[in-house]
Amino acid sequence: MINSLKRKQVLTSQEISNRFSILRTALALLLAMGIAILLIFLVSNNAFRDIRSLLLGPLTSSNRISQMINKWIPLLFTGTAVCLFFSVGQINLAAEGAFFAGAFTSTVVAIIGGIPPGLHFILCALAGGLAGAIICGLPGIMYTKFNVMTVVSSLMINYVVLFLGLYVITNLVRDPAAGYEASYRFKESARLGELIPGSNIHTGLIIAVLVVVLGYLLLYKSTFGLQIRTIGANAAFAKYSGMPVAKVIVFTQLLGGFIAGLGGTTEVLGLYNRFGYSGLTNHGWDGIMLAVLARNNPKYIPLAALFLAYLRTSADVLNLTSNVPSEVINIIQAIIISFIAAERFLAGWEYKTIVRNTEKSMALKEGVTNE
Amino acid sequence: MSDLFSLIFTADFLGSVIRMSTPILFVALAALVGSKADVLCIAYEGIMLFAAFGGVVGSAYTGTIAGGLFLGLLLGMLLIGIFAYFVLYLHTKPLLIGLALNILGSAGTVFGLYMLTGSKANSTKLGSLTFPELHIPLIKDIPVLGTVLSGHNVLTYVAFLSIILVQVFIYKTGLGLRIRAVGESPKAASSLGIDVNKTKFIALLISGVLASLGGIFLSMAYLPYFTRDMTAGRGFIGIAAQSLGAGKPILTGIWILIFGFADAIGNLAQSFRLPSQFAQMAPYLTTLIGLVLINIPRDKKKTDNPL
Repeated sequence: MINSLKRKQVLTSQEISNRFSILRTALALLLAMGIAILLIFLVSNNAFRDIRSLLLGPLTSSNRISQMINKWIPLLFTGTAVCLFFSVGQINLAAEGAFFAGAFTSTVVAIIGGIPPGLHFILCALAGGLAGAIICGLPGIMYTKFNVMTVVSSLMINYVVLFLGLYVITNLVRDPAAGYEASYRFKESARLGELIPGSNIHTGLIIAVLVVVLGYLLLYKSTFGLQIRTIGANAAFAKYSGMPVAKVIVFTQLLGGFIAGLGGTTEVLGLYNRFGYSGLTNHGWDGIMLAVLARNNPKYIPLAALFLAYLRTSADVLNLTSNVPSEVINIIQAIIISFIAAERFLAGWEYKTIVRNTEKSMALKEGVTNE
Repeated sequence: MSDLFSLIFTADFLGSVIRMSTPILFVALAALVGSKADVLCIAYEGIMLFAAFGGVVGSAYTGTIAGGLFLGLLLGMLLIGIFAYFVLYLHTKPLLIGLALNILGSAGTVFGLYMLTGSKANSTKLGSLTFPELHIPLIKDIPVLGTVLSGHNVLTYVAFLSIILVQVFIYKTGLGLRIRAVGESPKAASSLGIDVNKTKFIALLISGVLASLGGIFLSMAYLPYFTRDMTAGRGFIGIAAQSLGAGKPILTGIWILIFGFADAIGNLAQSFRLPSQFAQMAPYLTTLIGLVLINIPRDKKKTDNPL
């Protein structure tokens, strides 16, 4: 009894590690904000107003809050997708291409008339998801069959998809009456409605939340998820213990690709009435940042994505109300990723704390036995 | 179509292949040196942007090309220095810090551009300098060959010369040997008294010089000014090319010429009303197919793939 009471006063090494990882995150945020504020002072003609916009801009009107939530939705998809890729140990960067593919493939389906509402969206989602699955599955197959580095193949695939999509949009489904490079209008039956009337937030939010929850359950509460994580941690070990390593890797890439493609589908059908992208959208790269922040666990994706959506909305506010380039936000993002990913940042301090703590707990234990 | 073919085999066209190959050749060689030290750097996009921007600013403010070269190299090296420090000393995953630096490269240069010129698009206002073209005596007078080989930018010759320099450096010098040693077996190298991190750091800095030259070429030769995100994925193509070249400088150089060829055809195809997107896609598709092809005959046991 006394033993367990006394032990509560000291932390385990694991707890200290967790505390340091929170400290690292906090310091990274502070450092990034500090640099951002410095940059704003350098260029702004009204620095205090702009710093306020950076910190609080997204909360200043209900319109901006819905804007932020709409920016949050696609990040939930790509963040979860990249968690899957990284968990199985594949550095697959094709979520970017899959998102774009999902967007333009579902566009082709969404302009077909005469399909009942509901069913129409489901068909679009299937088309977009399958396109994404193929895009992300290819690097997985190339790795397992031909030992091609996933990083390189997925980077190249992104560009192939980009130009394929631009070809489809500018040659096959381009609406000459649109006035700019865009597809024909989506049929109303394919579009996603508003979640709460008048809020501008689309129903893709429900799909996104489902994806995150299912992604978490799959990775952390199922046998298959255990296989995924085991392969990610040590593929050779997984192989010798009899897991179908190649199959799991490929399936995980297909599934993540499906999710990213579905993200592209909900994004275009939720926010726009035509497809009008002229380049890659960066959602896939954002997904990578989110997976890093969430340490490959979909459970933390919503929080990380909310943070990023908040920053992006700040960027929009800055763009509209000040002369500060919104690129400040990307600089913040770069600094945050760097310091959170730096595993040995503050390592000396962490090490000393763990050693001191262990000495303390051993001394305590000795004290208990002596009694 | 036959018009297209007659255009392809003109001296002008072959000259443009060489011109378009230059920046990716620099990055591919940079990636090659990095890969010899077994560090996967995807930050070349950001490094090239910093260098391209530095080149423009340096030459505009000092009024000399040397000033541009100096500032360009300095900024490029700064970025790869950060990369190397994070990877080697702070144990950061190379992919993540690479990703972060690419974002920083893009956003940082746009921010800097805006501060100096008030424009977020390009640096035409600064009036920066360009590297001169080199007309090689004797060769320039040979009918067809002269047009293909002479009259290119100085940096283009530096790029092609670098193939040989890198080949010699990696395979014939002590430092090159040490870099290969720490890349292939860091433990063995360390047991022989080689400082692994220091050697990798040096390799990355050399890689940074090459990538920076690629960036400087973009803004001080290919175009006479800086435009936002002007690298347009060249950093990634460079990585792919070195992967296709299996770490051999000369083979990598050949792949680069194939890319340059595909790039130049893309430019031509547009004037023939072929869908330009397919031409633009060609280099990337070539890479993908090439990656599969070069890996088919390889003995699986030799690789570290556990599958």
